[in-house]
Amino acid sequence: MAKRVLLAEDEPNIVESLTFILERSGFEVATTTNGRQALEVAQSDTPDILILDVMLPELDGYEVLRRLRADTRTKTLPVLMVTAKGQREDRETAMKCGADMFITKPFVNSELIAAVEKLAVGRPD
Amino acid sequence: MVNAILGTRIQQYRREVGITQAALAREVGISPSYLNLIEWNKRPIAGALLRKIASALNLSPDDLGSMAEERLNATLSEIAHLPSLKDANVERERTSEFIGRFPGWARAMAALAQSEHEATVRAQVLSDRLSNDPYLGAEIHKMLNRMTAIRSVADILVDYSDLPPERRDRFIEIIHEEIRVLSDNGETLATYLDKSVHAEKFLTPADEVEALFDEHGGRFDVIETIAGEISHMLTDLRPLPRRVKARALVDEHLKGPIQRIITDSSQIETTAAADRARQLLTDYAVGAILMPMAAFTQEAKNLRYDIEALAEAYSTEVDTICHRLISIPRGDGFPRFGYLQANASGMIIEKLGFEKLIIPRYAAACPLWVLFRAQQSPEAVIRQRALFPSGDRFVFIARARNTGMTGFGRPRHYVTDMLVTTEVDAGMTIYAPDTASVVEEVGPGCRLCSRQSCPHRVDAPLTQ
Repeated sequence: MAKRVLLAEDEPNIVESLTFILERSGFEVATTTNGRQALEVAQSDTPDILILDVMLPELDGYEVLRRLRADTRTKTLPVLMVTAKGQREDRETAMKCGADMFITKPFVNSELIAAVEKLAVGRPD
Repeated sequence: MVNAILGTRIQQYRREVGITQAALAREVGISPSYLNLIEWNKRPIAGALLRKIASALNLSPDDLGSMAEERLNATLSEIAHLPSLKDANVERERTSEFIGRFPGWARAMAALAQSEHEATVRAQVLSDRLSNDPYLGAEIHKMLNRMTAIRSVADILVDYSDLPPERRDRFIEIIHEEIRVLSDNGETLATYLDKSVHAEKFLTPADEVEALFDEHGGRFDVIETIAGEISHMLTDLRPLPRRVKARALVDEHLKGPIQRIITDSSQIETTAAADRARQLLTDYAVGAILMPMAAFTQEAKNLRYDIEALAEAYSTEVDTICHRLISIPRGDGFPRFGYLQANASGMIIEKLGFEKLIIPRYAAACPLWVLFRAQQSPEAVIRQRALFPSGDRFVFIARARNTGMTGFGRPRHYVTDMLVTTEVDAGMTIYAPDTASVVEEVGPGCRLCSRQSCPHRVDAPLTQ
């Protein structure tokens, strides 16, 4: 059974391209475009991996992550945080908030897939 | 009055007057050893004894010390404790003696420390602003999103050869869309940065005055009108008396209008800039009286803007002609000029009226400009066809003139005047280059120049 990825990203064209490459790499992809929705979906229908952009409307990525880590259902959910290049503080904050990995924009597709695959290891099918 | 440097002052005045320590001590009724301690600032002195010593030295107590010196003492003590000066082993205990003996140097050192402090604060403010400006951060984030989408979709197009045609078309459409938005983002950011630079207050009075001239397009109509009305009052034909009279006419008729131009301008903020603007506008007005615009534009056209021929026709200096040329009304049929002046050290000391030519504000300009080469052959007009990395082509017309003394063995000091115009406008002048004349590749200055392999490069470009 394919691993389920929840992609929380508000840029439609990025969502479209990432959905394509994730599906081509064998993942099942669900998408959300704001932080509040990402939190709700992650809590109600917990995916195997969450790809979480820092800059999201309504609730930013850090706050989503903090709340997920405070919830027993999503405490150990593997999260790949997407930060912007050059924002060193973003990476530090992401790790402090409990991100498992982070990737900086702009990234190459293979980097993102490699990170997601790494997070997928250890999660039973 | 207790003053840490009083002792040094007393010693200094006593020596100047030529009295021995013993004699002064006797006169004021203390022991020579106690006076010695006072003179080496080991004992405070005030009240009756101070008045007695001052009187014995024929001075008032105020001559021996002041609040200003107290403050200077405090400032220098602060400097002496700066961590950055730890290795200099500053003789802190001799601060008072230093101020007493070398008051001018002491004041200079305090002024330098103050200016260093201001520069550091300013650098910190600018650095903070770049890293914390929320608008800048948001705009950069938008651009990074655009780049992420473009990169990701471009990778898909390359990596997946089995894409269905409609999918491929959709991804190509995304790239087009994202590139268009990225280009808009870039433009917004460039405008913002440009505005920020202008919003920053000018660093030097010269910058403020340059902005005033730019604001008026290098031409001041009020001055031109009044100058045109009063120029008939110049009746003497001899060059020097004409100039003196023109200057007197400026004082009489144009002082007020010049002051109003300065007061009304939002560009002039400092007293130093106002003084400089007053001086340049006065020179401008003298030029306008000596060479009323209507006649000057006609004469300039007849002589094909030959600066030396014009200087001869008006019995004036080349730089006066250059200044007059940049104030010619803009429009069809007239070439547009900018003007630069550089001294022998290569420093650009005046820049007026040509915003298209980018000149580094805080670094050296390109050494390949004829502006700098002209000093090798003073008094000769040299033309240069300059091609910039941007593809802009300018014609530079430079001439170095002596501003120092003349006569054998006397030092000469040259400054170079340079007119700048475009190749198209140069076609209307005597300096029109023919197709055979060499085009020289130059740049704005190493930091702003993209010619990576230039053999004359001495500094890395900012945009690597």
